Amino acid sequence: MAKAVEFVKINKRFPGVHVLKDISFSVEEGEVHALLGENGAGKSTLLNILHGVYPEYEGSVILHGKEVHFKDANDAIVNGNISKVHQETLVVKDLTVGQNVTLGYEPKKGMFVDFAKMNSDVDAILKELNCKFSAADLVANLTSGEMQMLAIARALYHHSNIISLDEPTASLTLKETDALFDVIRKLKSQGVTILYVSHHLEEIFQICDRASILRDGEYIETLDIAKTTRDELIHSMVGRNVAAVAGRLRPSPRTEEVVLKVEHLSSGSNFEDVSFELHKGEILGFFGLVGAGRTEVMRTIFGADRKTGGEVYLHGKKLESAWNTTKALHAGLGLVPEDRKTQGFMALSDNTDNIAISSLEKYMTGLFVDQNKKNKNAARYFEEMDVHPRRIDYLTRNMSGGNQQKVILSRWMSAETEILIFDEPTKGVDVAAKAEIYRLMEDMVAQGKSLIVVSSELPEVMGLSDRLIVMSEGKITGELTDKEQYQEDVIMNYAIGGN
Amino acid sequence: MSRFISKNKRELVVFLATLAMAAAFTIMNPAFIRWNNILTVFQQMVLNGVLAVGIMFAIITGGIDLSIGCTYAITGICVAWCTVHSVNPFISIAIGLIIGAVLGAFNGFLVTGLKLQPFIATLGTMSLYRGIAYVVTGGIPVTSVPDSYRNIFNGKMFAGIRFYVLVMIVLFIVAYIILAKTRTGAYLYAVGGNEEAAKLSGVNVIKTKYIAYIVCGACAAIAGMIMLASLGSAEATAGTGYETNAIAAAAIGGTRMAGGRGSALGTFIGALMLAVLKVGMVVINVDSFWQYIVTGLIIIVASYFEFMQEDIKAFMARRKNK
Repeated sequence: MAKAVEFVKINKRFPGVHVLKDISFSVEEGEVHALLGENGAGKSTLLNILHGVYPEYEGSVILHGKEVHFKDANDAIVNGNISKVHQETLVVKDLTVGQNVTLGYEPKKGMFVDFAKMNSDVDAILKELNCKFSAADLVANLTSGEMQMLAIARALYHHSNIISLDEPTASLTLKETDALFDVIRKLKSQGVTILYVSHHLEEIFQICDRASILRDGEYIETLDIAKTTRDELIHSMVGRNVAAVAGRLRPSPRTEEVVLKVEHLSSGSNFEDVSFELHKGEILGFFGLVGAGRTEVMRTIFGADRKTGGEVYLHGKKLESAWNTTKALHAGLGLVPEDRKTQGFMALSDNTDNIAISSLEKYMTGLFVDQNKKNKNAARYFEEMDVHPRRIDYLTRNMSGGNQQKVILSRWMSAETEILIFDEPTKGVDVAAKAEIYRLMEDMVAQGKSLIVVSSELPEVMGLSDRLIVMSEGKITGELTDKEQYQEDVIMNYAIGGN
Repeated sequence: MSRFISKNKRELVVFLATLAMAAAFTIMNPAFIRWNNILTVFQQMVLNGVLAVGIMFAIITGGIDLSIGCTYAITGICVAWCTVHSVNPFISIAIGLIIGAVLGAFNGFLVTGLKLQPFIATLGTMSLYRGIAYVVTGGIPVTSVPDSYRNIFNGKMFAGIRFYVLVMIVLFIVAYIILAKTRTGAYLYAVGGNEEAAKLSGVNVIKTKYIAYIVCGACAAIAGMIMLASLGSAEATAGTGYETNAIAAAAIGGTRMAGGRGSALGTFIGALMLAVLKVGMVVINVDSFWQYIVTGLIIIVASYFEFMQEDIKAFMARRKNK
């Protein structure tokens, strides 16, 4: 087989850091090739070099036997027939699908855009991709799965024969993921080469032929997926053995004391009639597909959204009607949100301030906040949680995903919250950091805290939780009170609303 | 010391630029550096400085308050009416502060309660408050404010420094303490840095925004009362366009228009720079029409340097690594 992509001795330096060191490997034509590594291993940097985002680097990139050096990302798409589908798809929401796909390269009739040709061209591609929406639809009405397809359509519009997918399933439902995999298989059969980046190892085994592994900016090896086990893959990525499968290492400290009781809680069209109890020392799992209403339930309990019906009791006491996040915080209730960047940390604040914001009353000297006390507190949690780099003065936004999550966890640990709700706690977090977060959760329940873990990753909730509640379309559809009952097909059946 | 420099680099750059400007004016006309003229610079910056320190609070939360010039006018009129009708001057000042706080709180209500865009909400109250000022006075200025009131602000302390200059400096110091040392300050920055994240960290976003707009209104009221003391009369047209100068002072001093960043020291230096520029141009006889053009250019250049900060930092880092 011919080689679609060859990296030869790629080096990349940023001010003060050597991020890629002598990377050399190749990707064959028509294969689905995974690019694996922990956060900060250099995957994104390598992709950015391939796609012309970073035009300055040492070494050479060879596509189909010819050395290329793209000026910028557009040059790569138009002249190199190579496209990247971003983690967060970049679209103009107020334009149509057709306009987005052809953006910048619209078919013209004289001076004007030829909308008829645009729509027929794009519709042909969409049909090829089995999409249910059409070129004339507004992008604002698409689901995130459909936007992903739009991005692939854009790649095909530019006749790309090499396509990179960066965490393509991060915000997709299971159905949409299946549809995406069908498309990937179809493209592969047409000879398109796919580079695939994901933290979901299950997906790698489902869809990829080979995997190249980067660690700390160095190329480690390329593995044949069919001949590799999960543990070998993880070992290669992390450089040591990690219990990446979510699981409890210690006996559960669950008690019979009810700390949180939710009765018939409803919020508009988001969810209705949700009732459950949380026990002291328990990890309660909440599983459901994207859009099942789990996040909304948790936001409402935490006071970030308004309820329209039902009651919540904290330690047996009914919550007041004007409930808000400040009152929740003082009552010992916390929430680790799903999206760290938009909901988790303040982008302009350093780690110390991002940790201190929920517990400022702890660092007072007289009337004023004492910077030394804040620093001391942050340093203590950085040590305890093994955050890298150990720099409390760095901006949180410059940390890697797993370490950002530890900063948010430090915030709630500092606030001494009794009940902590995790929404997708390991989204975008690499394998090693995942295992550490699971360990921290066990530490927390051992200290008498109670946790709710909302997740779309079935192995995660199954491994972690003492009990499991399943939601579908805004309602609780199932509850599994005993680990013995945990069976994937039963849980999935609840999640798709079956009975 | 070095920690102070690295933490306030932005402010220091603007301060050095202001000094350079003052030096240039002095070379062109040595009269610029006379004590009396320096006093004029400080007197010139008082109104804008007091307005700027207030609007900085609104801007730090990611908002804006376009109505401060009108709050300034209303307060001037009401306090003038009180003093003319022989209300105790200190009670009049308290009434003025309450008026400013209430008008600010109404802006806060529009922004938090009705969830309006701050720009649009205060564009509305800008016209609303100005209209109230006209209706209350019927367009006729309130005059003959008694000296018992005027002397409170106008009185000279030592070396010819007027008391209202001290009021401004105290305001800046209080603002510095609130922003840098208190919980409220941390919440203001958090709300401006990422409102949703602040809310999900348990910060009371609504209360924090109310505080910002109330402080902003109260500062506008103080400026209005200083103006009243120095002129001895108040009219409905007072303060028209003053919000733009206040925004300029805050922006030159490094306040981020999208919120989350800004300091009392920076805004002080921003207001000082504008005052040096204004007085300096008069001293060297620049035509008043040209003063507008020069002021505009300075604002643009200063914001450009502000914008360039990150690039300059990256450039220095790269040189260091080579």
